[in-house]
Amino acid sequence: MRNADTSLSILQSSNDKEDKRNSRRRLLDRLTRYGVALGGVGVITAVGLIFFYLLYVVYPLFSPAAIHEGGSISSPLQDEPQWLAFEEQGKIGFVVYKQGVVEFFDIESGSRTTSVKLPIETDVAVTSFAKGESSSNLFALGLNDGTVLVAELDFDISYPEDKRTVSPSILYPLGNSPVQLDEQGQAIMQLAVQKYDGLLTIVVQRQSGVIGFQSYEIEEDGFIQPDEYEMVEAEVAQLAPRAVSLLLNRAQDTLYIIEPNGRTYFYDLFDKEEPELIETLSIASPNSTITATRFLVGGISILVGDSRGEVAQWFPVRDEHNRLKLTKIRTFKGPGGAIEKLETEYGRKGFLALGEDGKFALYHSTAERKIFEKQLTSSKIKSITLSPHNDLLALYTEGGEIKSWHIDNPHPEVSFKALWGKIWYESRSQPEFIWQSSSASDDFEPKFSITPLAFGTLKATFYTLLTAIPLAIFGAIYTGYFMSPVLRGKVKPAIELMEALPTVILGFLAGLWLAPILEKNLIGSFAILLMLPLVVISACYFWFKLPESMRTKLPDGWESLLMIPLILIAGWLCIALGPYLELAWFNGNLPQHMEVNWGISYDQRNAMVIGIAMGFAVIPTIFSIAEDAVSSVPKMLTEGSLALGATRWQTLVGVIILTAAPGIFSAVMIGLGRAVGETMIVLMATGNTPIMDFNLFEGLRALSANIAVEVPESELNSTHYRILFFTGLVLFAFTFFFNTVGELVRQNLRKKYGSL
Amino acid sequence: MNAKVEQMPNINVNVPDSSSPSSGKVVKPEQICFEVEDLDLYYGTTKALKNIGMHIPECRVTAFIGPSGCGKSTLLRCFNRMNDLVDSCRIEGQIRLKGQDIFARNVDVAKLRQQVGMVFQKPNPFPKSIYENVAYGLRLQGIRDRRVLDETVEQSLVGAALWDEVKDRLHDSAFGLSGGQQQRLVIARAIAIQPEVLLLDEPASALDPISTLKIEELIYNLKEDYTIVIVTHNMQQAARVSDYTAFMYLGELVEFGATGELFTNPKKKNTEDYITGRYG
Repeated sequence: MRNADTSLSILQSSNDKEDKRNSRRRLLDRLTRYGVALGGVGVITAVGLIFFYLLYVVYPLFSPAAIHEGGSISSPLQDEPQWLAFEEQGKIGFVVYKQGVVEFFDIESGSRTTSVKLPIETDVAVTSFAKGESSSNLFALGLNDGTVLVAELDFDISYPEDKRTVSPSILYPLGNSPVQLDEQGQAIMQLAVQKYDGLLTIVVQRQSGVIGFQSYEIEEDGFIQPDEYEMVEAEVAQLAPRAVSLLLNRAQDTLYIIEPNGRTYFYDLFDKEEPELIETLSIASPNSTITATRFLVGGISILVGDSRGEVAQWFPVRDEHNRLKLTKIRTFKGPGGAIEKLETEYGRKGFLALGEDGKFALYHSTAERKIFEKQLTSSKIKSITLSPHNDLLALYTEGGEIKSWHIDNPHPEVSFKALWGKIWYESRSQPEFIWQSSSASDDFEPKFSITPLAFGTLKATFYTLLTAIPLAIFGAIYTGYFMSPVLRGKVKPAIELMEALPTVILGFLAGLWLAPILEKNLIGSFAILLMLPLVVISACYFWFKLPESMRTKLPDGWESLLMIPLILIAGWLCIALGPYLELAWFNGNLPQHMEVNWGISYDQRNAMVIGIAMGFAVIPTIFSIAEDAVSSVPKMLTEGSLALGATRWQTLVGVIILTAAPGIFSAVMIGLGRAVGETMIVLMATGNTPIMDFNLFEGLRALSANIAVEVPESELNSTHYRILFFTGLVLFAFTFFFNTVGELVRQNLRKKYGSL
Repeated sequence: MNAKVEQMPNINVNVPDSSSPSSGKVVKPEQICFEVEDLDLYYGTTKALKNIGMHIPECRVTAFIGPSGCGKSTLLRCFNRMNDLVDSCRIEGQIRLKGQDIFARNVDVAKLRQQVGMVFQKPNPFPKSIYENVAYGLRLQGIRDRRVLDETVEQSLVGAALWDEVKDRLHDSAFGLSGGQQQRLVIARAIAIQPEVLLLDEPASALDPISTLKIEELIYNLKEDYTIVIVTHNMQQAARVSDYTAFMYLGELVEFGATGELFTNPKKKNTEDYITGRYG
């Protein structure tokens, strides 16, 4: 019997102890709760941050362009301005006037700096003007005595007292005095000039209407070799003076002569001795006249504005007989009224159009998009220009005032159609999906169609799943339902261990080891594909034909081990016999035979290699989840079915697969998500060719591999850079979608069978 | 302590227990359904059932009672060879169904299970509709005729006293039913293929009292057409529903007899201790 006092004191002390223990338990409990919550929230935040960072980089692609007003200065010369432009640094602007004066002004302060009189005799008048490619600062004045003065503006950058100073000067590539283009001294009514790569060409239309040209080879030391050529006169002789526009491209091998009524002569000047008239056609829409023309940057496309207010883009396209035909590619709706002026952007395929009623609009040709339009001033615009960085717009209005606007238009190349649609790119014979983001040349037309990349990703995923789904799911069903638990305990971790293999090693093996082997043993590989199911099925058949005494020697669920040597022998036989089959049926070389006889081209790194290598990477994912789904079908259901007299096979089909189907589906979804996002294998074993061809034997370029290849070499914050991030976002959306669907289905399944 | 009961209980005497609902019914002449003879069952090297012998009469309810782990469920699962699924399980001795040894080599287990249906402790409907659950066993036998299926499904659900509750939602998921309804659905599923025997493995242990009562009424009605063997933990339930009771202890059959007899006048001390609640 215990004393009441002591029992009370014991109670007391145990209470103290318990309190202490309880408070420690509560603290631990709270810490665990906060720790777990912190971890969960951290993961969600990290994913959210990645997503928002992607959005942040991508957003400018789709934000609208903006324009806001800059300063203005007035010019003292109330003369006709021929050309208003900026030098590359955006510090100095200049105007070339018809009376032969070049005036420079400081853009920031708006003050005039210098004014230069060009070396033209006082008794001759300027009758025509032409400028070269917009980036070259080259221009020419045609005079009324049949001569032409060619001049080039040069801007020297120096750093006196550590301050950047730009000082303009004027160079004369053909000498200080005008060169004679017409022996009879007829006035030069129309003019075109280009200088590029040591060659300078002047095309003129004389007062008589005759068109001719001269080419000069300009050596480094300034030595000039003039060559004069007369064009075929008959075609253009009847034209009235001042009636045509002459468009000469920068390479000086193509000349378009366009009459106001739309009649166009397309000359090939590659051989300057013998200019060739390729085509004569009409480019005007019905009931309209041509009011403005301009070469787009790169000298391939011409822009034609007409009196109905439309701008059309044309370029030569090869037809089925390999003849060039000038073709109308697309039209843009102008800003309103007849098109008065067309000007191109620098270094990209944008342009602006000025309408009759003073409204202007900015476009991008590849993106087929009007970026914005705006009425800038009510007074008449005599000249309009963009700065070399395309961020400054300037007008020369009737009152002699120069006004400038800042333009914020960093990514005109992007439109829904440019990213996803078929685009008719320059020099292509038809609209196509092309990804070609960069080239050596500045005036190249970037081709940002994501479609071939998304196609590549889907193609890789398709062939991957074609390999992985049957193997993984049948394997999972066998392992989860038929295999003996002991063997299953070894097989499952072994397959799951495959997932730990770095994909860079898989890619390396696939590209450098598997691909050549496959190419060499193509027929053997196909034979394996055909033979393995046959061998497996017939082996099963004979197994059940064996006397029962032999069969029962092996415990239930271990039969699959017998299959391993069989499969190895069958595989070896296929590879060994492959060359003989190839010799007998395919002239000894199946890839070549396919190419020649069936027109199927064979790349060494192709979708088949990807299917196998990436299939290998995805199998563990699908297998593991599907096996879990099969083996976690409640035993009660299996027993319930068997107790109703179902065979094992009937139970499998009627209950197991039915119950595990959502789990198997989610396994496929998660495997699919994995295949879509996989990078190293597709990078190393596909050849990275962005083609739209579902052929098993051709390569591909996947979104993920494209990012890996191009991000390091893309210019920070350029359109290309942001589009790569956009593809990352697309990839994110792909994987997010597939994983979410998979996970939702899995959770639904858990809820459904949680009560069982 | 070999409690093999060779002698059949007196078949002409109606069970005198007043709590048994069988009084007043016309009782069919009793015949033997299962004969169990010298049955030993091993899990690996452990002997789980020791030398069991009993005769289970046709169209009667036979209850197996005994403390947990005494082997009553294991014995029940021998009748439709569900123990085949357990790898380490080995059986010696014989069980004859109407004179036929069910462990013989030429016995088709699937056929046997069609004759000997089973209902488990927890309701286990398939993830299908109510209709498809009941039709499952018929479809396994290749019956495709819509009219036959419809008829059998209705009869079975009526037989399992579930028809009125589900007739308007036959094509809804079976998971929408309550636990008691699910258990009756499982019984309907079992009787849809018209077995001769129904094995019930603690069919009411996971259910509330009202559902239990319904199941017990159902058992009472079903014994007109089926031989029923029920494992139960609940002695009152055994006393209420069964005609015969077997008391098992540590893998041995201690006593087997008419329920009233066994409960009122047990022959063995062990039995008496158990039914009076000395252990359990």
